[in-house]
Amino acid sequence: MIFSYIPILAVDVLGSFAMIIISTISLHKAKMLREKHPANVVYLYLMWIGSGFTIFAFSRSFGHILKQLLILSSNNEIWHIIGPYSGTINTVSFMLVGLITLFFKQSWNMNRKIINSRKALEKTHLKLVHLNQNLEQQVIERTEMLTTSEHKCRRIFEQSLDTILVTDCQWKIIEINPAGIPMTGYTKEEMVTGEMHIKMLFDDGREWERIQGHINAHEFILNEETAFVRPNGETLLVMITCGVDYGAFGCAKTYHFIIKDINEKKMMEKQMAQAEKLAALGELSAGVAHEINNPLGIILGYTQLLLKQESENSPTNHDDLKIIEKHVHACRNVVSDLLTFSRKNSMDDGRVNLNQVVDDVVKFLINHPDLRQIEMNLNLWPDQPLFVTGNEQELRQVMINLMINAGYALEKRGTITITTTQNNHNQVLIAVKDNGPGISQENMEKIFNPFFTTKPVGKGTGLGLSVSYGIISNHGGDITVESSPGKGTIFTIVLPSAGEDGDRI
Amino acid sequence: MKQTVLQYLALSFTAFVGTLIPDLAHATQMHSGSEGIIVHQLGHLFFLLSMVTLILTINGQGLDRERGWRLIQYSALFFILWNLVALAVHFLDNQVAAVDVTTLSVWKIRIDPANNSRTLANFYYILKLDHLLCVPAIAFFYRGLSTLLAEEEG
Repeated sequence: MIFSYIPILAVDVLGSFAMIIISTISLHKAKMLREKHPANVVYLYLMWIGSGFTIFAFSRSFGHILKQLLILSSNNEIWHIIGPYSGTINTVSFMLVGLITLFFKQSWNMNRKIINSRKALEKTHLKLVHLNQNLEQQVIERTEMLTTSEHKCRRIFEQSLDTILVTDCQWKIIEINPAGIPMTGYTKEEMVTGEMHIKMLFDDGREWERIQGHINAHEFILNEETAFVRPNGETLLVMITCGVDYGAFGCAKTYHFIIKDINEKKMMEKQMAQAEKLAALGELSAGVAHEINNPLGIILGYTQLLLKQESENSPTNHDDLKIIEKHVHACRNVVSDLLTFSRKNSMDDGRVNLNQVVDDVVKFLINHPDLRQIEMNLNLWPDQPLFVTGNEQELRQVMINLMINAGYALEKRGTITITTTQNNHNQVLIAVKDNGPGISQENMEKIFNPFFTTKPVGKGTGLGLSVSYGIISNHGGDITVESSPGKGTIFTIVLPSAGEDGDRI
Repeated sequence: MKQTVLQYLALSFTAFVGTLIPDLAHATQMHSGSEGIIVHQLGHLFFLLSMVTLILTINGQGLDRERGWRLIQYSALFFILWNLVALAVHFLDNQVAAVDVTTLSVWKIRIDPANNSRTLANFYYILKLDHLLCVPAIAFFYRGLSTLLAEEEG
């Protein structure tokens, strides 16, 4: 049966060329895919199978083209020789493609495992990155908190008005805050760099041993009062609290002390006790004075009556009565002073210009026998009159007492300076300063006591300062004294100001 | 896997070299003349089965959802059809000698079926146009790869 050969020839030859071309560009595409993802095993497989198809296409197509050429050129014998080789190559190329294809599933599984592993790795990596970022954030936050806390603690340490002191386990000072420098009197270098023993601060070594024993036994000490000594020998009373810190993060054991200066507090307590004592004495004196005042009046009255009846011709009785009258007057003066001290006498209060009072007193005393040769310096507040509410007579008496005392202390030679000022607390101050020998520490505590005097017997009653104290206290003020032996004395009166209009503020 | 592939390639290469230098294998079994066509047919069959495996594997892995792999599946399908055609042609032509083909000229060809069946002659003539299957097969493979590459680049 005869058929047209053209279709077979055309399809065979053109198909062979097409196979060669398409398989070649397929292999190129597979190579591009492979280059895109070198780690992808599936794309490696596609490149392998593409290579297999290309080998197959080339061997088969060349075989077919050669066959057609040989047949058409009547060289069938040659094709019969070449044909088996071409067929064998084709067979091998089928086998190759088949073998490669059979590996596809394994390739795919391997690729999936690799992808899964990579995903797991990426997930772990992301977790690690997140953890790392979180860790950094946490570190930043903790560092900020630590810095804030450290700053706060540092401020407490630096700004504390009480002394905060740290020693090592050998009781050597390793840290002290700024408040501790003026309190102890040592420099920071002497204490910290010089590894000073805390015992050096104590006035009495046995007191330190007692406190140390208590700390060793109980690991703390609370509000213990003791005395410190400064390098210049000055002592001060302190209150100590101490705790043990066993440290953290490998730090050594340390002792933390909080030391409070109670010197002023103790002084105030003493002054208050003194004030209470004076108040009690005042009450007692007032009672006694009141009881004595009337009999003294009777004695004086009868004495003066007898004096009138006695003639000048009986000098013995007259002289005796005069002596009695004189001593009764002396007694009445004492009683009057006592009553003034306790303010039992009544006088009207009003607006008093202190500058005027001081000026009057100075003018009055300038011719006093004890003050005649003494230089008087008067520094009156220049801006305005210093008004207080009170009894002018009593205040005048206070000024007289202070100035006479100063004159006595100066022993007729020296300077008395009187200064009047006003402070920001609406208080008026009068300072009476002398450059005399000063008051001994022993007498300082007694000067406001009634009947205490350093004058010879008969020269003073010992009531001047106590009366002055009572008057100033009754005016809502205070009177203080500062004195050092050999450097003079300053008495300072502080009174509430009444303002310019005379009303107490 | 690379090592395994290399082992197979080495084996195939040895077989190929053996066919280039044919000689009597005195110490081994003698082989009849039809052995070559049977091996070739087995090659086609192996190719066909590998293409079936490829289609099933692509389905099994769910890759057929991607257009590129679907095109590769079509390629495998056309290769299966081409292998069937090739198997049939080789069977009729070389194994059972059911047809005798003579090229008369560029224009004419004579096909003589053994049983003078016109149908067999026509069937054989159509089977000889096998490039109509293998060219689309390789074209689908190309399109599949192009699509996969485009998806990777996109």
